[in-house]
Amino acid sequence: MFLAMKELMHSKMRFLMIIIIFVLLAWLVFILSGLGNGLSTLAASTFKTMKADYVIFEEGSQSSMSKSLLSDQLLAEVELLPNVSDAAPMGTSMATAMRANSTKNEDKLDIAIIGINPGSFLEPSVVEGQGLSAENPKGVIVNSTMKDEGYGVGDTFQLDGTTESLTIIGFVENQTYNHVASVFTPMAEWRKIAFAAPGSDKGISGPVNAIMLQGKDIDPGVVNSKLATIDTVTRSAAVQGMPGYKEENGTILMMLAFLLAIAAFVLGVFFYVMTMQKTNQFGIMKAIGASNRFLSKAIVSQVFVLSLTSIVVGVLLTYGTAAIMPKGMPFKLETTLVVTYSVILLVIAMLSSLVSVRKITRIDPLKALGRVE
Amino acid sequence: MTTGLQLSEVTKYYAEGSNRIAALAHVSISVEPGEFVAVVGPSGSGKSTFLSIAGALLKASEGEAKLNGHSISKLTAQELADLRLKEVGFIMQSSNLVPYLSVLDQLLIVKKMSGKVSKEDKAFAVKLLEELGLGSKLNSFPEELSGGEKQRTAIARALINNPGIILADEPTASLDTKRAHEVVSLIAHEVRTRRKAAIMVTHDERMLEYCDKVYRMEDGRLFEQ
Repeated sequence: MFLAMKELMHSKMRFLMIIIIFVLLAWLVFILSGLGNGLSTLAASTFKTMKADYVIFEEGSQSSMSKSLLSDQLLAEVELLPNVSDAAPMGTSMATAMRANSTKNEDKLDIAIIGINPGSFLEPSVVEGQGLSAENPKGVIVNSTMKDEGYGVGDTFQLDGTTESLTIIGFVENQTYNHVASVFTPMAEWRKIAFAAPGSDKGISGPVNAIMLQGKDIDPGVVNSKLATIDTVTRSAAVQGMPGYKEENGTILMMLAFLLAIAAFVLGVFFYVMTMQKTNQFGIMKAIGASNRFLSKAIVSQVFVLSLTSIVVGVLLTYGTAAIMPKGMPFKLETTLVVTYSVILLVIAMLSSLVSVRKITRIDPLKALGRVE
Repeated sequence: MTTGLQLSEVTKYYAEGSNRIAALAHVSISVEPGEFVAVVGPSGSGKSTFLSIAGALLKASEGEAKLNGHSISKLTAQELADLRLKEVGFIMQSSNLVPYLSVLDQLLIVKKMSGKVSKEDKAFAVKLLEELGLGSKLNSFPEELSGGEKQRTAIARALINNPGIILADEPTASLDTKRAHEVVSLIAHEVRTRRKAAIMVTHDERMLEYCDKVYRMEDGRLFEQ
């Protein structure tokens, strides 16, 4: 540490340049991970925050809400299955909210209609207004982002292309589906909207898209064998089954993986070149009697100090960026995410310094004397 | 236990293609504590190999080298490094100081290599540097020092661990006559007052007056003059 710090203090410019490069890399990693997190939240937060453990879909629906259609009569049978503590039906459809008779661009808003049974465990708690009730089928609770569009409690909006209109009775937070705000309606109202065209419910009585299950140790195989033509998956598998979700996340993950690989190489090469420049110095110290351990510790502690400084600055810059980002940006920083990527970056930097350590152990103190005949 | 430096019948072979070349052939020398010995000879005569073996940087092919009683032939690389740290003080051609350490830190880093730096160590380093006329340069970096000051720092660095053996490799190579005399007389003074066994390899015949014995090296053989 002594040697490492003395050198840092003596050649500030050289190390500052490395820190700048490292900070930029770390910054990009954090921003990209925040964007990835933001996008996947936007795509599926309603699903992710749901207090459900398993989802029953129609057989052959590829774990996708939009491809699945079931009868809610299954519900009674499902609740009797082992380990199932609760079950609730759910339906989704996409729609456009429109202010009454307006033709202006800004008065139309894409929304996701989520049909649930009022009072079931699928109903999120409201932060403003009141919850759903079966007596008021046109009263809906909506995601708080709709406030930014000028909606308030008591406001009524029409659904484009239908004669249905809904009234906001409450707001919920962090509820988005397919990248748009979620609008929770009682099941009966959702059926009216989703199956407006005659025959689109395939004649099923009480149609729903899926049945969500609560219960820790449910065995999907057992559920599938007890009931015909269904497919039971975990909630996370259902999230993966959402249209475009895997592809979107895969893209971001691939960019992050490449970025981390690039960071490893860039940093490794930097540290290696710096070590190469000091070959002679290290040789002299070895001739004087420094052990490989002593010199390796100097390099590793130096890389540690540089990395930690850069990562901390990167994190600060990322939070600064988040603070000035436009509101609509799908950017969501989570402490666990930031900590995870900080640790990954630190580990990568430390590993890349091992190449330099290997170089040090191979320096021959004789060569440093410059007198080998 | 014998002290000082003893080489007996030391031979070192280097492989050159399919041939074996003897860089050192049956070299024997004994340097007592307080004795300052010079080794002269043309380049290519084996002086460096000789110095490397005497400094525990290299192991002999045959024969035995003893540094302050420690035989080096059976030691591992790690043990050799440790022995160099404790028993050998090197003074090299161009002082070879670490560029980003101050004069005082040049000495303390050697102490760091073997563990913690105590208050006594620091006091000893300061005293040593003051003795060598560097009292006002404790916090200077090598780039701010003259050639003579650099070499004096190197002498202090060689002495900091109180080793039994001092090896000087062309210590006057980059100095003018006045500075060269200054530096070598300093080495001679320190060697005698601190009772070190010292060997100086040099081309510089002017410096031989400071030495107790002069050896000449030719084609890997060592003769006393």
